[in-house]
Amino acid sequence: MNLPNLSLADFLPLLPAIIMVVGASILLLSEVFLSTTASRAYQAVLTVVTAVAAGAMALTTMFEPPQEVMLGFGVMDPFSSFLTFVVCVGLGLATLSSVSFLRKRGAERGEFYALMLFASAGMSLLAMSNELITLFVNIEVLSLSTYALTSYLRRGTRPSEAGFKYFILGAFSSAVLLYGAALLYGATGTTHLTAMAGPLSTAMSSQPGLVYAGIILVITGFAFKVAAVPFHMWTPDVYEGAPTPVTALMSVGVKAAAFAAMVRVFFMVGKGVDPQMLLGLFSVLAFLTMVAGNLLAIPQRNVKRMLAYSSIAHAGYLLVGVAALFVTGPGEQFRLLGASALTGGTPLGLARAEALRGILYYLLAYTFSAVGAFAIVSVLERREDEEKGTAWDLERFSGLAQRKPGWAFAMAAFMLSLGGIPPTIGFMSKLLIFQAAVDAGLIGLTIVGVLSSAVGIYYYLRVVVYMFMRPVPEGAQALEKSWSTELALVLSTAAVVILGIIPGPIMGWLEQASSIFGQ
Amino acid sequence: MTPTPLTPYLPLAVVLLLAGGMAMLIPQITTRLGPRRPSAIKATSFEAGSESSGPARQRFAVKFYVVALLFIVFDVEAVFLYPWAVNFQALGWFGYVEMLVFAVTLVVGLIYIWKKGALDWES
Repeated sequence: MNLPNLSLADFLPLLPAIIMVVGASILLLSEVFLSTTASRAYQAVLTVVTAVAAGAMALTTMFEPPQEVMLGFGVMDPFSSFLTFVVCVGLGLATLSSVSFLRKRGAERGEFYALMLFASAGMSLLAMSNELITLFVNIEVLSLSTYALTSYLRRGTRPSEAGFKYFILGAFSSAVLLYGAALLYGATGTTHLTAMAGPLSTAMSSQPGLVYAGIILVITGFAFKVAAVPFHMWTPDVYEGAPTPVTALMSVGVKAAAFAAMVRVFFMVGKGVDPQMLLGLFSVLAFLTMVAGNLLAIPQRNVKRMLAYSSIAHAGYLLVGVAALFVTGPGEQFRLLGASALTGGTPLGLARAEALRGILYYLLAYTFSAVGAFAIVSVLERREDEEKGTAWDLERFSGLAQRKPGWAFAMAAFMLSLGGIPPTIGFMSKLLIFQAAVDAGLIGLTIVGVLSSAVGIYYYLRVVVYMFMRPVPEGAQALEKSWSTELALVLSTAAVVILGIIPGPIMGWLEQASSIFGQ
Repeated sequence: MTPTPLTPYLPLAVVLLLAGGMAMLIPQITTRLGPRRPSAIKATSFEAGSESSGPARQRFAVKFYVVALLFIVFDVEAVFLYPWAVNFQALGWFGYVEMLVFAVTLVVGLIYIWKKGALDWES
C-alpha cells in the first residue's frame, strides 16, 4: 500500500487554521464547563488572542517560497499567507466590536466566538486550496458557520429571515459551484488546479461546451459568494438581519477568501482556455456590479443596508482587478507605470502581478474601513428599534460629532476611505487597482469604475453630513462606553489613515504575495 | 450490432426496463382483477392493528431532529472507523494519529452536546 509520506513539517503551513480550530474547541468546552462564571469577557479575549496568534503565524510564512501542502491539495505561498493575515485582522477587529454588542443583548456565548473562529479557519484554508474538492469543503466550512452566525440572535424575525435566505441561496450557489467543478473534472480528469491547464486546452478543442459550461457555473457560484451583480439579491437582507459584528466578518472575511479562491481557480483555468473569454466574463460582471451596487446604495437611508450595497460596489472594483489578470499580452497600451515598482518577470507577468497587488491591497483596505464602519453602526444601534428597522436610520448619526467627537472622526475616516478619498487607505487601494486596470488596457472599465466611485462619494458623505452638520435629536439616549469597541475603532482608524499616507510597510509583503502568479 | 461505449450497460437497461414495467404492471393487474367490497372499517387508516388516534401531521419536539442529527454524525464516524480498523496494520502510526485527531475532534463535540443537555430527553 502506498502511504502518504507526511511529516510534521507538512502541518506547519496549516498552523493558522489549526490554531483557530483549537481555539474554537477550547471556547466550546469553556462554554459548557465554565458557564457559571459571571463574566464571559475571557471568551472574547481568548478569541482575539487566537486571531493574533494565527495572524502572526501567517506573517512568519510571508517570505517563504511557495510549497505544496498535504500532497498538493493545498498550496502555501505568500498569497495565501497574506489573505490569512487579512482574515485574522478582520476576525480580531470584529470580535473586539462584538463584546458590547452581545452584552447589550444578553447573548454572550462561547458558541458565537467559536463559530467566528471556525468560519475564519475555513477562510484561511480556502485561500490555500489548490484542488476543487478541498476548495468546496472549505467553502462549506466557512458558509455553514456564517449561516448559523447570521441567525445567532434567533428570537427576532429579521435574523431568522436573514439566516434562512442566506442558507437557501448559499446552499444553492454551493451546488452550482460544485456542478461546475464536476463538469471541469469531467472535461479534464483531474481536480488538481495545477494539473488542469494542459487537459483543459485539449478539452477546449474536443468538448468546448463542457468546458464553457463548467467555467460559467463556477463563476456563477463564486459570484454568489462575493455578492456580484446579478447574483447579489441576498446581500442587503442578510447583511441587515445578521448581528452587526457578523456582518462585518461576512463582508470582509468571506469576500477576501472567496476572491482568493476565485483568483487561484481562474488563474489556473486561464492557462488552459482562451483568457479573452475570462476577461470578457469578468469585465461584464465588474461593470454590472460597480454600477448597480453604487446606484442601489443611493436611496438607502438605512446605514447598515447602505453598507451592504457599498460592499457589492466594492466587489465590483475588485472584479476589475480580477479582469485585469486575464490580459492576453503586453501591447502598445501597456505603460506599466505601477508595475515598474515590481521586480523581475516578463511585462505580461508584471501586469498580472500589478493587478494581484491591487486586489490584495484592496482587500486589506476594505477590511479596515468596513469593519470600522460596522463597529460604529453596532454601537449606535438600539435593540428596541431593530424589528421596526429604524435602528440603523441615518437620523441616529445626527449630531454624533457633538456627542462623541472621537467616534464621528473615526466614522468620517471610514466613509472617506470607502469613498476613496485621500489620504486614506481606500484611496491608495483604488489607485492601485485602477492603475493595474489601465496598464492592462481596460480603459473603459476604469472610466466606469472611477465614475461610479464618484457616485459612491454622495452616499458616504451623506453620513458625514448627518454626523457633523445636523443637531443632536431630541431625547437622544446616552451612548454607552465600550473599551473593546473603542480599541477596535482606534486600531482601524489608525490603519486607515497611516497606511493611506505611508503604504510602505504593506507594500513589501504585497510585492512578495503578488509575485507568485507573475510568470 | 457494433459495440459502442454504452454496450456493457445494455443488461442494466434491460433490468431497469423490466423493473419499471413490473412496477407499473402489477398495480394495474390487482386493481383491474381484484374484487372491491368497501366497508367503513376498511376505509379507516391502518395503524398496526390499534385504533388510529388522529392525523399524523403533528408538531414534533425539536429534540427528535437533534437526536437524528447526532446519530448521523456518529454514524458517519463509524463509517470512517471501519476501513481504518481493517487496515490498522498497514496504516501504522500515521493512521493511528490521524484517526486520533479525528476522534478527539468528535469527542470534543460529544462533551459539548452532553454538557449542553442535548442528550437529556426528559428536561
